[in-house]
Amino acid sequence: MARSSLWKIAALALLVAVTMALPLVVTNAFALDIFIRILLFSLVGVAWNLMGGYAKQLSLGHAAFFGLGAYTSTIMQVDFDISPWIGMVAGGVVAALASLPIGWLCFRLRGPYFTIATIATAQALMLIFLKFRDLAWGAEGTTIPNLGSAPLMLQFETKASYYYVVLGLLALALLITWRIERSWIGYYLVAIGEDEDAAEAVGVNAPRIKRDVYMISAFLTALAGTFYVQYIYFIDPATAFNFNISIEAALVSIVGGIGTLWGPVIGTVLLETTSALLQSWLGSSTGGVQLTVYALMLMAIILWRPAGLMGFVNDIWRRHLRRRPARA
Amino acid sequence: MLETVAQAVINGLLIGGIYALVSIGVTLIFGVVKIVNFAQGEFVMIGMYLSFYLATQFGLDPLLSLFVTMPALFAAGVLIQHFLIRRVLGPNDMPQIFLTFALSLLLLNLALMLFTANYRTVHTSYSDAALHFAGLYVPVAKLIAFVVAMALSGALWVFLHTTDLGKAMRAAAQNRDVATLMGINPNRVFAVAFGAALALAGAAGSLLMPFYSAYPFVGQVFVLMAFVAVVLGTLGNVIGALVASLMMGVAESLGIQFVGADSGLIVVFAMLLLTLALKPTGLGGGRVR
Repeated sequence: MARSSLWKIAALALLVAVTMALPLVVTNAFALDIFIRILLFSLVGVAWNLMGGYAKQLSLGHAAFFGLGAYTSTIMQVDFDISPWIGMVAGGVVAALASLPIGWLCFRLRGPYFTIATIATAQALMLIFLKFRDLAWGAEGTTIPNLGSAPLMLQFETKASYYYVVLGLLALALLITWRIERSWIGYYLVAIGEDEDAAEAVGVNAPRIKRDVYMISAFLTALAGTFYVQYIYFIDPATAFNFNISIEAALVSIVGGIGTLWGPVIGTVLLETTSALLQSWLGSSTGGVQLTVYALMLMAIILWRPAGLMGFVNDIWRRHLRRRPARA
Repeated sequence: MLETVAQAVINGLLIGGIYALVSIGVTLIFGVVKIVNFAQGEFVMIGMYLSFYLATQFGLDPLLSLFVTMPALFAAGVLIQHFLIRRVLGPNDMPQIFLTFALSLLLLNLALMLFTANYRTVHTSYSDAALHFAGLYVPVAKLIAFVVAMALSGALWVFLHTTDLGKAMRAAAQNRDVATLMGINPNRVFAVAFGAALALAGAAGSLLMPFYSAYPFVGQVFVLMAFVAVVLGTLGNVIGALVASLMMGVAESLGIQFVGADSGLIVVFAMLLLTLALKPTGLGGGRVR
């Protein structure tokens, strides 16, 4: 037992060292861009996994929070000259508050109808930002003024700086997930995911737990939204509320291992690497190809490895550990 | 004013017939197999492309291609149920939701690769024809689509209520375990339900082709309508889905008439969110799950 946790600490230390050193070794802009995408979608996946993975509330509407985070910080920056660092936190708060009415509506439904309701709320938000031009530039969107090197305004000249920012955000999300997983809330979430009625029957206040964790999930997703539009210097409703963000959030978690700490990260590494390889093989016209491959991977995982890649790794890990005492 | 309202109601009812074919498919699968088919809209899309290619390659009228699209999609439904859906049936929601969702994603993006994002239309002799009476305007293609859609819905209702297989399907919908004890083979019933639902989607595709464009994302419009209609109507209830679909068509049409051309979707979402807020179990009551 002690040996196993020692191994885990060593592996974590190695992972931290490698991720910290990566931009020093890899300076190619294309490769760094892929790493940043991996970290960004890992962050979205980790945020989704809190609600979707542990409590099995299978949302396909997390783009709502991504978009709210992105729009809050951009409106604050462009209209009021407030730093996106502050805007990022404000966006998180806006998204967390928005999760209250959204959750109030959607949690009335269970299973597939919860999923449909989350799609509808995210799409409705996108329509609102498309229709009401006075609110935020309508369908045209806006470019974010490029100030060159302005770390206080979340703008950098090197991709490596963006890499460290999103790495920090991901670390925060993982830390929060780890703490929740280890606490009584984590056990309650899993109980709700297994059987909500049974959980309530033994005294779990399911509506309250779901509400609180949904807020945390929304907050973390919004941080990713702010980071993303700052990184690409552009915002419009189709980018910020893109349905593909909702899809990818769920997809990386399911492929990697639903309801596990590292599942979304592993899933994102696999999916984003595949997508980058496809892009370099086939050129720019890969929209259909990329999602076709994603869909096939998702189907394969559901049919043959429902516990995801993490389940696969855990099986091997356990078999390895079980054999060890027999030899000693 | 009264004429404008009447015209909007007629337009809404006519398109509502198509919505009904899609919704009845969704509600049939939900009622019998107990899963939500997120890919239902993509089968409308496939029906449209089938009709389009039969019309452009073989000169087959889109309405006659109904006799090809319906059996073809029925067969596809039986195969999908047998090889995919059957493997994920059980108490766990996650694989069911994401299997049909992955299927939707797959078919949509395959269509994007094969057919490109271009809009495809078929022009028939009756595409522009219309009946006029009492100052109202009724396009012939839409009227035919509505009549055939209602006839198919009626045929399904008769099938469910008079034939042994139909009664077995209703029995399996009410209580799967007891139905199995009574000697009903659930796999066969599920396969027929899935096939019938997809055949209806295929029919919707063929009926749409004379007056609607085919493109890879076309199914999304119809499936969203269907989900709302199925929440609004009683889940698993064919009549409920039919009535709710016609209501949705009229509401959308009135929204377009009086709020603005691009407000159709907003009306749909508003209706869905209102339903969730006021009557989350749908107009027919009952629990979702």
